[in-house]
Amino acid sequence: MSHMLTKKLPPVQSVSFLVSRRASQLSRQRYDVIVVGGGHAGTEAAAAAARIGAETLLVTQKIQTIGALSCNPSLGGIGKGHLVREVDALDGLCGRAGDWAGIHFSVLNRSKGPAVWGPRAQLDRQRYREFIQAELLSTPRLKVLEGSVEELLVSDPNPAEPGRHRVAGIRLANGSQLISASSVVLTTGTFLSGSLFVGQTLSPGGRMGDAPSSSGLTHTLRDRLGLRVGRLRTGTPPRLLKDSVDLSLTKLHPPDRQPTPFSFMNTHTRCKPAEQLPCYLTYTTPGVERVVRESLHLNCHIQQDAKGPRYCPSIESRVLRFPGRSHQVWLEPEGLTSDLLYPQGLSMTMPPDVQLRLIREIPPLHRAEIHTPGYGVQYDYVCPTQLSPALQVKNTQGLFLAGQINGTTGYEEAAAQGLWAGVNAARRALSQPPAALSRTESYIGVLVDDLVSRGVTEPYRMFTSRAEFRTSLRPDNADLRLTMKGFELGCVSAVRHHEAVRVRCSLQNAIAALQALTMSSTSWKKKLPGISMSENKNQALSGMDLLQYKDVSFEMLASVFPESLAPYMEFSQRLKIEAVYKPHCDQNKSEIKKIQSEENMSLPQDIDYFTLSVSLSQEVREILDRFRPTTLGAATRLEGMTPAAIANLFKYVVLTRRQESMMSGKQADNEEERGEEPCKRNASLPQ
Amino acid sequence: MYYSAIMLPVSAVCGGTYRAVIRTLTTRNIPLYRRLSSGGRVLAGLADADTIFALSSGHGRCGVAVVRISGSAAATALRCMVGLGNQLPPPRTALLRSITDPHSKEVLDRGLVLWFPAPHSFTGEDSVEFHIHGGPAVITAVLQALGSVPGMRPADAGEFTRRAFHAGKLDLTEVEGLGDLIHAETEAQRRQALRQMSGELGRLYQDWSHRLKRTLAHVEAFIDFSEDELIEEGVLDQVDISVCDLQAEIEQHLKDERRGERLRSGVHVVIAGATNAGKSSLLNTLCQRPAAIVSPIAGTTRDVVESALDIGGFPVLLSDTAGLRDSPDLVEQEGVRRARERVQQADLTLLVVDSTILPSEEQEAAAFLLEHLRTLLSSQDQPGAGRCLLVLNKTDLLPEAHREKLNLELRRVSGLPPVCLISCQTNEGLKDFLTVLQSSVKTMCGDPLSGAPTLTQARHRAHLQQCVAALAQYRWYRDSDLALAAEGVRLALTSLGRITGRVGAEEILDIIFKDFCIGK
Repeated sequence: MSHMLTKKLPPVQSVSFLVSRRASQLSRQRYDVIVVGGGHAGTEAAAAAARIGAETLLVTQKIQTIGALSCNPSLGGIGKGHLVREVDALDGLCGRAGDWAGIHFSVLNRSKGPAVWGPRAQLDRQRYREFIQAELLSTPRLKVLEGSVEELLVSDPNPAEPGRHRVAGIRLANGSQLISASSVVLTTGTFLSGSLFVGQTLSPGGRMGDAPSSSGLTHTLRDRLGLRVGRLRTGTPPRLLKDSVDLSLTKLHPPDRQPTPFSFMNTHTRCKPAEQLPCYLTYTTPGVERVVRESLHLNCHIQQDAKGPRYCPSIESRVLRFPGRSHQVWLEPEGLTSDLLYPQGLSMTMPPDVQLRLIREIPPLHRAEIHTPGYGVQYDYVCPTQLSPALQVKNTQGLFLAGQINGTTGYEEAAAQGLWAGVNAARRALSQPPAALSRTESYIGVLVDDLVSRGVTEPYRMFTSRAEFRTSLRPDNADLRLTMKGFELGCVSAVRHHEAVRVRCSLQNAIAALQALTMSSTSWKKKLPGISMSENKNQALSGMDLLQYKDVSFEMLASVFPESLAPYMEFSQRLKIEAVYKPHCDQNKSEIKKIQSEENMSLPQDIDYFTLSVSLSQEVREILDRFRPTTLGAATRLEGMTPAAIANLFKYVVLTRRQESMMSGKQADNEEERGEEPCKRNASLPQ
Repeated sequence: MYYSAIMLPVSAVCGGTYRAVIRTLTTRNIPLYRRLSSGGRVLAGLADADTIFALSSGHGRCGVAVVRISGSAAATALRCMVGLGNQLPPPRTALLRSITDPHSKEVLDRGLVLWFPAPHSFTGEDSVEFHIHGGPAVITAVLQALGSVPGMRPADAGEFTRRAFHAGKLDLTEVEGLGDLIHAETEAQRRQALRQMSGELGRLYQDWSHRLKRTLAHVEAFIDFSEDELIEEGVLDQVDISVCDLQAEIEQHLKDERRGERLRSGVHVVIAGATNAGKSSLLNTLCQRPAAIVSPIAGTTRDVVESALDIGGFPVLLSDTAGLRDSPDLVEQEGVRRARERVQQADLTLLVVDSTILPSEEQEAAAFLLEHLRTLLSSQDQPGAGRCLLVLNKTDLLPEAHREKLNLELRRVSGLPPVCLISCQTNEGLKDFLTVLQSSVKTMCGDPLSGAPTLTQARHRAHLQQCVAALAQYRWYRDSDLALAAEGVRLALTSLGRITGRVGAEEILDIIFKDFCIGK
């Protein structure tokens, strides 16, 4: 437990000695996996690939910005917290980094049911970066190189696999150094053809102060590989000097008294409960709207047609779409010792002098000073329907994409994809088949499936409403859902696996103990006099049944039956949740099984749907050709598919499978077995 | 997320799907909330909601109909609908048994029952077959009863075949036609559904679906956007009201939907008219037996005389009533009161008129009949449009020429209910009258065998019941766990979506962003 907290981080200054700033310093010129980009996706990808056992190289423009929080200083939230817990369950970095760097922890939606609790924390930017950098630098098989990638090396495909191209490595910008690799993971974030907007000024860049990625990379993706590329936009607010803000005019927003760690491996956070910092709440005034309207002609970002997110709009979009009302502004700390505040809700792109005028219309900010102005950024993304569920580009063997390059937004979404792309990139390099993660077992699966089978029209953010099995995919049980699987895939350490096995056994034993406590409701009433039970007298109820009552806690039962239940006190909350949700999860099981069996029926990627000799309407053929679903399950979720088309495709898949197994004999049988492996998992507690 | 992610557009329109998303939550007679009130534990017993049933013999009139059930709840259905004690019958052996409604215990039919335990069945699952009489009333009754067993739902198009295929029971060549079969069936269902959807019923369902979508969007917004992000007040209060209203409306609709019940309990046809018009003679003629006493004395029939009939395969409960007149006789007064009450409750009124009292000028007949109707029936007794037939009796006493002119004239004028000229004495005109009567009864029951509307209706009913039960789940969990409460609204929309079309997560998100200003 909490091994992370006892680990000593290497001092940041020493970082430069552990990494290479020139490719010629690298010990090798060939890696299994190269990860391009050091943001949330890139760091998770590199760490995961190395954990799996691949010799991995992380290439980033600036080593010091590895693990930087480019936008908001926070992690988690509703839906996003689910992703952090899942990344942690697969031994990723962001959960533990959050526990290390958090300075204000709160579980959102506390009153709305455990399935939708959203663990969240404000972060100390410095500490977050420190943790990520230290973690990467102490990861075996992982090297970090500072440099800019000029282009991808593309060669002829391996004829045994689908795809028209194969990625062979990268060429660096300076010195045209070549480094070869079996897999390359691109996590370019907002840097792919990135341009920054402030007022009417437009300058190339992926983040203020950082150059965009090389145009050669864009060229490779668009022209050489022929990928469909779109454009999205986002923005960030100005950073304010804390001293210049009149906090007495704001509403204080305290953290949870007892911080809840993100990581399953941590029992407490680095920040002590009492050391946590508050957030502050204030509101916009009519003056803000006036300034926005007066400066519209000076604000070219808002006039652009690239799609921005609807749920994290700039202050300009907010007052224009919902005029005449007052909007919330959260003032968030940037770190324990930082003298800056982050005004969440005030993302803006007008000229800096107008930004100052605008914020000063808000009473607590009437004398505020801006440290760094807000700005907008537009960037290229690759339409993610061109990816397989392993996040590999379908037409290019070995090329994986993760994060904003796939049209998503958010640190957590990026981290989740990064981890998954890293796992698969490494597996490919080590000649292992791609790993599958179903939308029935994880939010990561929902995210990946939504991206690759439906694509995006605006920056994609995770919502719990996207998960159809929300009651099964809870933040509390991410370890039970994913850690064993991650261990089999090789991305989970033995320590974590051991802990997850211990937890699973304990929970199973505790549930068995609760079920063994079966007696009539009359007897229960005698044991627990305070409980109102409407059961009929002779009905036998188990401890699990009792736990479903709103006013019955595990602690209460344990106090009545200490000998059988006391050993499980550390799991009291999880047991209560299991008891309440079990009936609903059981109800989902048969449906989950059905979806999983369809997800396991893969559709060949090289089918020509227009000439396929299966009875399909022209309309259906066009849909299939456009989205190229990788599995029968994905095909059923496409808009416009008909039951008859699915039945005919189903028949086709089975027929092809049989023919293949007849031709290649035993080998195909083995593959079929492997393919069915995920089917054995259940989203609820393994029995 | 797709609320009915695996539901497909074509099938969704008609409520039939390739794959089912149904999670049966309730039975017809035991609403979820009542069972939930016993501790919220009931859901545990409904884990496998995957048993399907369907009329497997062809549609159309037939002597014997086969109803097939497949899935883990097949044995439960068998136990609770067939009196077998607690034992299952020997496998693959035909037994003659009474088939009863699991709740009312009413005997629905007597037929052959076969039990095929897994894996030795067509689908490879536990299966049951009922071989019952082919009348529409019997088939509907059995299908409705099956729909009320927990864990059961009507099968989707081609689902038996698909399950058989999955279980490895069919060779690929045997399943060759599966796609075509599903296509044909869903096509038929789609046309069927479209017919129903274009009417008032369709608008009603669409309206519910629309409101439910908004309701779900508001719950989801409340869940997905924390207090920090979603500024709006009272979002959930609005949801509470919508859920409550919707539940009440759909429950009411389920209650009012009488067609299925008519099929089961019979169409109520009441014979009414002035004294001595020949009402009891008509009853006896229709029954083909002297069920009521007939005499030339006015006021012979004083109480209601009932007789159950089969008219063209549809059950009819025929009531003969006392002649409508003011009488000083207390017993007769009560008889008249009862007669008027029956007319008010009737599905169809046969208003019998002695044709010899009609004016000799044919042109005046229509006006006379309208006046006669007015005086005979008080305003609240007036049967609605399409619910009354005028039967002009004793035509054997009219000269033939007059009879024909009268017939032509009454067909010409509008504003009168359909008119039939008959003679209970000579049976003249009886055949035509029966045709008219049969078509009226058929309209009232819905023709269960044309394009399988019985199935469609059973399906709609099942979906609406699930919808209501799921809304009850929202209210049950509203204060303790909003995620589980929202699950109820999701389920409700999925159930309704099987009638009106699927609803995807994106659509819900669109509503959220349209209705709320979101952002921190």
